Amino acid sequence: MATPDIIFYSAKGSPFSQRVEIAFQEAKADITKYSIDLRDKPEWYASRVNSTGMLPVVVYGSPRSDPEHPSPESAKIAESHILLEFIADLYLDSGLLPKDPVERARVRLFIDAAVTKLTAPTSAFFHGGSPDGFIAALMEIQELLPPTANFAVGDHFTIADAAIAPFLARWELRLRNDVGKFEEGTGLRVYEELFQSERFARLQKYYASISNRESFKNSFDPEYILAMDTGRLGRH
Amino acid sequence: MATPDIIFYTNKASIYAERVEFAFQEAKADVTRYSIDFANKPEWYAPRVNPASKVPALVYGSPKSDPENPSPESARITESLVLLEFVADLYPDSGLLPKDPVERARVRFFIDAVSTKVSPATAAFFFRGESPDAFIATVAEIQELLPPTAQFAVGDHFTIADAAIAPFLARWELQLRNDVGKFAEGTGPGVHKELFQSERFARLQKYLANISSRESFKSSFDPGVHMVTKMFEVGLRMLW
Repeated sequence: MATPDIIFYSAKGSPFSQRVEIAFQEAKADITKYSIDLRDKPEWYASRVNSTGMLPVVVYGSPRSDPEHPSPESAKIAESHILLEFIADLYLDSGLLPKDPVERARVRLFIDAAVTKLTAPTSAFFHGGSPDGFIAALMEIQELLPPTANFAVGDHFTIADAAIAPFLARWELRLRNDVGKFEEGTGLRVYEELFQSERFARLQKYYASISNRESFKNSFDPEYILAMDTGRLGRH
Repeated sequence: MATPDIIFYTNKASIYAERVEFAFQEAKADVTRYSIDFANKPEWYAPRVNPASKVPALVYGSPKSDPENPSPESARITESLVLLEFVADLYPDSGLLPKDPVERARVRFFIDAVSTKVSPATAAFFFRGESPDAFIATVAEIQELLPPTAQFAVGDHFTIADAAIAPFLARWELQLRNDVGKFAEGTGPGVHKELFQSERFARLQKYLANISSRESFKSSFDPGVHMVTKMFEVGLRMLW
């Protein structure tokens, strides 16, 4: 029996969609990607793909030749972190998830810690709050990184890296361009701290490892994202 | 090589620990349990087992480790949902997670949809005494996520989706029946009648009946009345 077709509905510029795109590329998956501009969503998307209207979504088991008409019987899977596990399950030898249960738990704990520690302080900071919580949270994440391995839980790229990379990249881009609702110059100051100071050397090395991956470069459009973020978060 | 020991740091009053206990029971896992008394936490617990000082926590590694002084080389794992996946990985034939990737995604979607609702709803209603109507509305949303006729959360087999939410349902039932919560006195039985006796919530009631008839459930959930107040106090103190 042939392997079911995979159609990946991806939101252009979205970090959540980029997580999934990175994972598919790391797995060297043969899929159809259907890119959607969130500002101009096709009117058929909610009724035919996902009633909540959200992306990313993977449709599994519908002919990839017709992404605009996925079959009603096909499986529709949403939520980026669930999709990361799904791709790891489909491509067991990709290394996206290790085979050892303890190592798998380490991957999941890293993802959980990153989301739990970073979400609130990051949003607060980019919306004009203090950088202190954001910097402290990144220090905690840095402390979770293994001292010398290349990636979040070892020398192999896993879904832990796919989960955090799109977010680190967007923060780096914004800070370097001083984009955020904070006072002018704050972004540059924080950029220096996080991406140039000795105190965050480990984080910088980690960021270099993940941003050098082909899967990352192929799925990241800095100009598009910077324009989008400047529109949303810039000081006008 | 001998099978690594599992040391499970737990407390019968903890709703999050119960999720994992339920999974261990379903998997018929051989586990050494060590109960951590919240009111009188051993001073070695945070430095040797879990710096966050919470339960559940698990030490997995070299055999015959002393629970009060586990080998530093052994792995430490925390977070109840991560632990549920870990138990499913250790016991792949238990059915705790299906083998099919799409079915596995369905289990995780259910866990995600429900766990984002149950914790805040419980805190708001039971620990802060907020609106019963809002609580009932949330439970109605959860009921909507249950499949119309299957026995469990994502089909006819018990999975970690059930382990994740059953402890909440069971405690709600118990606490409401005993009127235990920060809500106005007398509120509990009224909400109990709505959720656990009315036709509107028949689907939920059937689901809870399926869950509570499992041997694993009976072994992991202590419905003694003495536990009800204890659970509540523990919850309040710990923000559970």
